[in-house]
Formats: sequence, C-alpha cells, structure tokens
Amino acid sequence: MNGAFDIGFGRLAAGYLLLSFPFAILLWTRAPLLKDAVVAVVRMTLQLLFVGFYLQVVFDQNRMWLTLLWLIIMVGVADGSILRGCRLRARRFALPLFFALLAGTAVPLLVFVGPILGRSPWLDAQYAIPLGGMILGNCLRADIIGLQRFYEGIARGEKAFHQTLAQGAQLGEAIRPHVRDALQAALTPTVASMATIGLVALPGMMTGVILAGANPMTAIKYQIAIMIAIFAGTALTVYGAILLTVRHSFHPYGLLDHDLFVPKRVR
Amino acid sequence: MNSGSVLEIEGLSLRYGERQVLNGFSMRLAPGEKVTVCGPSGVGKSTLLRCVIGLAVPQAGTVTVFGQRLDAVSVWTARRRMAYVAQEPDFGPGTARAALERPFSFRANASLRDNLTRIPEWMARFRLPADLLDKETAALSGGERQRLALVLALLLERPLWLLDEISSGLDPENRQTVIDAVARLDGVAVLAVSHDREWQAALPRTVAMAPPEPIRKAER
Repeated sequence: MNGAFDIGFGRLAAGYLLLSFPFAILLWTRAPLLKDAVVAVVRMTLQLLFVGFYLQVVFDQNRMWLTLLWLIIMVGVADGSILRGCRLRARRFALPLFFALLAGTAVPLLVFVGPILGRSPWLDAQYAIPLGGMILGNCLRADIIGLQRFYEGIARGEKAFHQTLAQGAQLGEAIRPHVRDALQAALTPTVASMATIGLVALPGMMTGVILAGANPMTAIKYQIAIMIAIFAGTALTVYGAILLTVRHSFHPYGLLDHDLFVPKRVR
Repeated sequence: MNSGSVLEIEGLSLRYGERQVLNGFSMRLAPGEKVTVCGPSGVGKSTLLRCVIGLAVPQAGTVTVFGQRLDAVSVWTARRRMAYVAQEPDFGPGTARAALERPFSFRANASLRDNLTRIPEWMARFRLPADLLDKETAALSGGERQRLALVLALLLERPLWLLDEISSGLDPENRQTVIDAVARLDGVAVLAVSHDREWQAALPRTVAMAPPEPIRKAER
C-alpha cells in the first residue's frame, strides 16, 4: 500500500458546498430537521478534526502504552454511550459493562493484529487503533440492542418469568430464553451483513484499504478478517455483558430489580 | 415451627409504597389440609400467595414451608415443592404442549419427565380437549390457561398448591369440575384464594382476611 491521496483543506471546504442540496431540500419541504442537521455537521467536523489531530500524535509517537490508553478511553466512552442508550443505572452497570466491552474488543483485536497480521509490534497504532475502533463500534451497537432486549424483555414478560421461577427454575434456567432472544437481536445485523456483504455495497474497511492503494484481493482479506473479528467481538461482548450484569440486577429470590432502569422522566 | 405444618406464616407484613397490603398476617396449614382464603378485593390475598412462593418479598414476618424458613437460599428448593396457579397464568410464547413440557427441562423437575405420558389423562380430568395442546397459549381463554396450569401442577407432583382465583374464568360446570378435582386431591395441601362460595363449601376450612388492622382470622 502506498497511502491514500490526500485531500487539501481548501478542496475539502469546497466539498461542504454539497450540503446546499440537503439543506435546500429540508428548507423547501420545511422538514423539521434543518437545525439538527446543521448542528450534526458542525459536531462531526469538530469531533473528527480533534480526533485527527490527536491520532496524528498517537501515530507519530507509536508507543504501546499510548495506543493502549487510547483504546481504553474509547472503551470507556462507549461504556457511557451504551448506558445512556439503554436507560440503565450507570452506578451498577458501568464497571461490568466496561469489562464486557474490553473483552469483546481486545480478544478479536489481538487475534487480528497477532496471528492474522503477524506484524511487529502487534500493537502498532496504525493498525490497532482503526481495527479496535471498528470492532468496538460494533460491540457498542450490539450491547445496546442486547442489554435493552434482555432487561426490557424480562420486565415486559414478567408474569411468565415469575411463572417459570415458580415452576422450580434456577435463575440461569429462567433467563435462558431471554439471553437467547437478546443474542438473536444483537447479532442478527452482523449475520445479515456477513450474508450480503459485497453484493449490496462495498464495505467501509475494504473501501479504505483500496483507497490506501492496495489491490482488491488484499482488501477482501482484510474485510473477511474484520467481519470475523466483529462477529466474534459482538457475540463475546453481549454474552459477557449479560453474564456480568445479571448478578447486580436480580433480587436473591430471582426477581428482577426494577431500580436498574433509569425512570424516563429524569432523562 | 409446628412439626405438623406444611406451611406456617407468622406476622407477615408487606407494603407497596404508601399502601399496606399485609399487616401481621399469620396462619398454618397441616399436611393435606385444604383451605379457602377469602376477603374483599385489595386485602392482600394474591400477595399472600406470592409471598409464600417467593415472588413477593415481605418487609416483616416469616414464611416456613415444609420446615424450611423461606430465605434467599431455601426459596429455590421450596419452589420445587409448591405449585402456584395465578389468576391469569402466562406461559410466555409457544404452544400449550411446550408450556407443559418446558418445566421438565429444568434440573429440579428432570426426574419427573415420565409424568408427561399422563398429559391426556389430566387434560381429560379438567375437561380440556386434546387438540388444545397444539394451540398457542396466548390464543387460549383465561379458563383454559387456568386449567392447563392445574394439569401442570399435577404433572409436577407438588405437595402444596397455591391457587389464586383459579375458577374466575370458568363457566359453572367447569368451575364445579375444578373445585371437585382440587377437593379430592389426595395428600396435597391447598391454599385457594377465592370469592366463590362453592370453594368455601367444598374445602374444609376457610380463612377470612380483612383490611382493617389487626388482620382477623375467622374459622368456619
């Protein structure tokens, strides 16, 4: 790979002219999205510029501790987003969820940069950070869906859940159908995208590798490896998040503790 | 604990927020004894049953089942000796057959799996047609779900039954069938919450629950 062709800041600024189309359409149709869209474009620009500058430093330094620190901060930020997305109490969920995210990201990432890529050092910032970010982003989405489906599913079907306990089920037996349901909901998007990848659109990672100058066959190998890593990571993190949070979420009699949900009105 | 009791409730109190539902309620149930619990709505009859099976946790008082005081450890074994039939049983998704078979996949009930061959016999006893087994439980009437839960209680061979208004969804004929079947259960202790006079007539003892403090116990 010989690196992607750079875009000058002036030319990038010209690219913003494209925004006149969506803004004009929103204005013309009076769709109530214009303000949100402007804020989103500004946020996107500032966030990405900040990350770009910061990553430049991390890449230039290329120290293992700095790369690890960056990955851990990303996991921490993802942890907070999941708790906000699921309406779950941060105090009791933040730590177990952090470990579930860390495991879901670290295990497939280490397999990717270690045995699969085989570069030295393993935690080369140029590889570990973007690959870790892709895996983590998918883990975040999967955890939101999985935890929400798991806890809200039990709360919604609580009469049937109680019936199961009354029939002599242990907690693990009573939650099993809900674990299954949560995994199904959280992993279905990844399974669906694996099944259709390449047919509908060129995936992001493959596009990136091609833009960086690699031949399509190299790009495909990267894409296959990242899809496997994402699937493994999402399964690990959702299952881990449920197992690690269950002990804080049920009364010793096996009853769901409704205090784990943040009431809607205080959001 | 009286060694002759399968169930002993002492000073049971439970409050939901500002509402006192149970206030120092006590009673005993001897082996094989069948008792109707009656009282006006909101007096805590259903809550009483939920406290006994460990689906509600009282703020004060004790529940002792077969000599074991109910706590975070014993509740899991105590449930294996009780059958709880809610007023509106909810079996979750799936057919009636799956609802009857699922509890036998739990480790606690695995040794009773052979009892599944008796499904047709118990279904007939409660006047449930055999083709009902292939219907989704959500499509069954309230009365059918109640009788299905009774069939399950028989299959699981529980020695203590907790029944919450289980004939509320039944026509008079089916109601009498259910009451007669429960009254004739051999060696099974029953705590049946009901407004119906038929239950009070069929079971040997009635305990009346009343809302004002203190809770009064009336023996028939």
